[in-house]
Amino acid sequence: MLRTTLAGLRLHKSRYVTTVLAIVLGVVFVTGTMVFADTLKADYERSVMGAATSVDAIATPGLPVPGPEEESQEPVPFTQQQLEQIRALPQISDAGGMRQSGAVLLDDSGRSFGTFPPAAITVDEVVRFSASEGELPSSDGEIALAASIADQTGFGIGDTVTLLDQEQNEHAFTVTGLLDLGLEPGFGYRGALVLTPESFKAVTGAEGYFEIDALAADGVSEAQAAAAVETVLGEDAEVATGTAFGERLADDAGASADVMRAALLLFALIAVFVAGIVIYNTFAILIAQRQRELALLRCVGAARGQVFRSVLAESFVVGLLSSAIGVLAGMGVGLLAFRVGGPLMGADAGTSVVITPLAILTGLLVGTATSTFSAMVPAVRATRVPPLAALRTSATATGLEKGTGWIRVAFGLLCFAASAGAVALALAVGPDTAGLFAVAGAGMIAFVGVVVLGPLLVRGIVRLAGVPLRRVGVPSMLAVDNSIRSPRRAATAMIALTVGATLITGYSVLSSSIERTMTQELDSRFPSDYEIRPMLGVEDVASGPDGVPDGLSTVPDEVRAQLVSSPEVETVFAQQTTSVGTGEKEIAGVDGTVPVSAFVGAEAGSQIPGGVVEGDLADLGPGTVAVAETHADTLGLGDTVTLEAPAGDLTLEVAAVVESSSLWYGLTVHPHDFAALAPEQAGDSMVVVRGTEEASAVELRDAVYSAVDPYPTLEVFSTSEIREEFTQVLETAFYAIAAMLGLAIVIAVFGISNTMALSVLERTRESALLRALGLEKGQLRRMLGTEAVMLCLIGAGIGIVLGIVFGWAATAALLPNVLLGLPLGQIAVFIGVAVLAGLLASLLPARRAAATSITGALASE
Amino acid sequence: MGTSAVNHPFAQSDPAVTAPPVVVARGLTKTYDTGASQIHALDGVDIEFHRGAFTAIMGPSGSGKSTLMHCLAGLDTSTSGTVHLGRTQITGMRDAELTRLRRDRIGFIFQSFNLLPMLTARQNILLPSQIAKRTVDRARLDHIVDVVGLSERLDHLPAKLSGGQQQRVAVARALLNAPEVVYADEPTGNLDSRSGAEILAFLQNSTRELHQTIVMVTHDPVAASYADRVVFLRDGRLVDEVTDPTAELVSARLLNLEV
Repeated sequence: MLRTTLAGLRLHKSRYVTTVLAIVLGVVFVTGTMVFADTLKADYERSVMGAATSVDAIATPGLPVPGPEEESQEPVPFTQQQLEQIRALPQISDAGGMRQSGAVLLDDSGRSFGTFPPAAITVDEVVRFSASEGELPSSDGEIALAASIADQTGFGIGDTVTLLDQEQNEHAFTVTGLLDLGLEPGFGYRGALVLTPESFKAVTGAEGYFEIDALAADGVSEAQAAAAVETVLGEDAEVATGTAFGERLADDAGASADVMRAALLLFALIAVFVAGIVIYNTFAILIAQRQRELALLRCVGAARGQVFRSVLAESFVVGLLSSAIGVLAGMGVGLLAFRVGGPLMGADAGTSVVITPLAILTGLLVGTATSTFSAMVPAVRATRVPPLAALRTSATATGLEKGTGWIRVAFGLLCFAASAGAVALALAVGPDTAGLFAVAGAGMIAFVGVVVLGPLLVRGIVRLAGVPLRRVGVPSMLAVDNSIRSPRRAATAMIALTVGATLITGYSVLSSSIERTMTQELDSRFPSDYEIRPMLGVEDVASGPDGVPDGLSTVPDEVRAQLVSSPEVETVFAQQTTSVGTGEKEIAGVDGTVPVSAFVGAEAGSQIPGGVVEGDLADLGPGTVAVAETHADTLGLGDTVTLEAPAGDLTLEVAAVVESSSLWYGLTVHPHDFAALAPEQAGDSMVVVRGTEEASAVELRDAVYSAVDPYPTLEVFSTSEIREEFTQVLETAFYAIAAMLGLAIVIAVFGISNTMALSVLERTRESALLRALGLEKGQLRRMLGTEAVMLCLIGAGIGIVLGIVFGWAATAALLPNVLLGLPLGQIAVFIGVAVLAGLLASLLPARRAAATSITGALASE
Repeated sequence: MGTSAVNHPFAQSDPAVTAPPVVVARGLTKTYDTGASQIHALDGVDIEFHRGAFTAIMGPSGSGKSTLMHCLAGLDTSTSGTVHLGRTQITGMRDAELTRLRRDRIGFIFQSFNLLPMLTARQNILLPSQIAKRTVDRARLDHIVDVVGLSERLDHLPAKLSGGQQQRVAVARALLNAPEVVYADEPTGNLDSRSGAEILAFLQNSTRELHQTIVMVTHDPVAASYADRVVFLRDGRLVDEVTDPTAELVSARLLNLEV
């Protein structure tokens, strides 16, 4: 029996081309992902292990366990004395401490770099870091930069960079080296600057060590060294051997590679799923076409089980061979992806590729299993072919499928109803992750409904679209009739495309909704051109030993004064914010305070937009307060709030309840009351600038930057830049996801092409008859083209509808107060792609149909 | 070779023959290259068919009768020789021209698989006219449908029609546009004798009443007996001819060829 199967495979090689391609593409994606992720992980682990194992014991200050009423505390750094004690241990040959604090680095335009000051750290005799390029600093005028900072600022070895100390004095350093810190949990995001202890002290003034690295004395093991260090530092410190520390870092780093792997595998799975649909359809059609062959096998004595096994063996062989090709190609693709994408993710592109047996096995298993399982149903169907079918003259060509049964209709409608119910439930529950899962579940149920009702949908839509199409000409008329001849076949082919179309439309709806909401949010604010804010986290840098902020944590009043006097500026207003203690448990946070703001330079009611829930913002004067909705659970108009002020508690009456937004949060009071609540506070938390009509963009920019020039740590945000950056982030994400889903769509188009090709094969005599009756080759091609385009359009159309519905549902379930967007432009592109895909899918089948000799086809029986 | 099988295609006295020839073939050859040897499917055939004549082409399997019909109808290209349809020389035409020629001037009836399964009987009958974007003569359509007895079954799909009915649809389709010539390739090959007789009677009537020219390939002497003239082919050559044939006569001549 197996010999018969293999002989059949060899004979009909060309029929399997698409099946093979579908499996190969799916497996390439799976194996490629595995190889890429394994290599990335190995590279990450190697680089962190290398750094950690260069020392024998690593100690970091532990976090004191907070009491039940306490907030979590900052770690307490080690002292100089503790370091000396460790150095004195007999088990330790040498040890080094690492100080750490934030430091403001100026970029080449003289403004502070980053939204958060990078970490400044020190080198000592013993340190686990080493420069990836150049040298770590050895004298006081030298500095080493994290590679991420060098990339973003453009500074390189030999350049001079400037740091600000607490008094805003500039200190110049020469860059001597670069370090790769991308995988260090503390420094990966902020970046780090390495200084000698003396320059570190000059710039930051900070004391204490946040890490002590020690080398074991001769003959002392890592564990013994670590234990000795622990005896000095006590319970609160976390001491690990270099190996253990490295393993922990490696785990963290590996985890990020694994997250990447999971995300990619998800897309690979979608591609494999679509490949499964394509394979199922191919086998279903092949079985239908080979009815007589199978019946002949039964006639000559093959049992049902043998027929079943024969079909399954066929799919297994096809699956295994294609998977093998896919695995080989996948290794190449994975390697290529690592060479190209690895450096973007902080990996060294030169790392040798890691191919685990698991990657190979996964690829082979996924491909072979998908192929075999997809052929299961067709194989069962093959066993039902009666031996008598061998004697019938025309087995398949004239066989039109039966209509859709009412059970099918009922089940399909039930799916849609259940799906609608799940969506309604998800939306009723409100924004929640569970809601998102409910929507995803609803989407899958609806998809089952589409699968079940697919033949009916195809027939209905084609009937409808057929009315105008029939008038166009004979090719389109025949295409309409052809496409509903085997509605099940057509439905399966188009559903493969529906999967990709749904996901891509859904994501595009989500993305456009987010963009629309963001734009609306920006527009609804005070129509500003620039916002000026202090650098985040700068108080850590700026607070001197006495802990008193020196004004860097706010925008100095001089900035606002200068802007007000600029002719280019039309309006300037500021928001001042502080935390105020209150006895009111309902509105106070964990620490017993509530954020309180005041607007200076603008009327809260008229000039600063905000959605009023209750009351009137015009009433917001001394003695009154506006409460954001989030804090208004127990507060209503006329209620009073008592706030702690240095000169005695202040009781304010609620004048308005406003919708929470980025401007309106917590409580908002009149500037007069704000001064009473926070008499010490100088400067503004945020300054908003709007230019005059006459001022050009460049003039306004110059005016704003000249106002902040003396204060390099102030951050200037341009509204248009924010919008642009945001749009760009969304677009990049969209293109990335579209590319990932693209493969699933390509596979689906292969499937449609294959369905067409097999149908053409089956209709060879029909095509010949049409040609004999005078249908031109071009018309024949147009007929098949129209049919394929129609299939693609239906598949994409259903996907777009599902995508819009579930994209909206997911967006609403995910984000509160979101505006739903409809990306018409992108949808138009999808439709265009569907038409193009249809034309491409029909290209080869149509050529083949047109090239067939009429007399040959008519003669063959 | 039968001694009485004298080849005299021009010495005819039949009334149909007085009309000018519709189809004329001269020196038609068709050679297949099979690598080592050459097979002469047609080996210099000269033949003509007159307006209103019903001609049967007969011969043993492999005699080239189907090839001859395919070449005459522009479905296949000949290796040498000419075929004229009316004043038009169809040998040497490009595929697109041949397609238009078939569409506009020739009717076809095949042995099986004559109809498109997804079209109703009516749609199948009208298909060539639609391909050509021709307006249909309603009166002629009604008349033909009536004659072949399909009035009640026009909206059925082919699968719902018997073999005889399917073949009648094909006859109606072939006759609807009053083509210059109708080629029928074993039109009764798959039918029972009664249905076959009906079909052959329709064809015969169409030559008498509508002056239709019909060329039919068949291996059935009974079918051939419906024709006005029977020509015999062997090894790609015309070898014999009978006018006003009877089944017995045709059988006898055919048997002669086989010897």
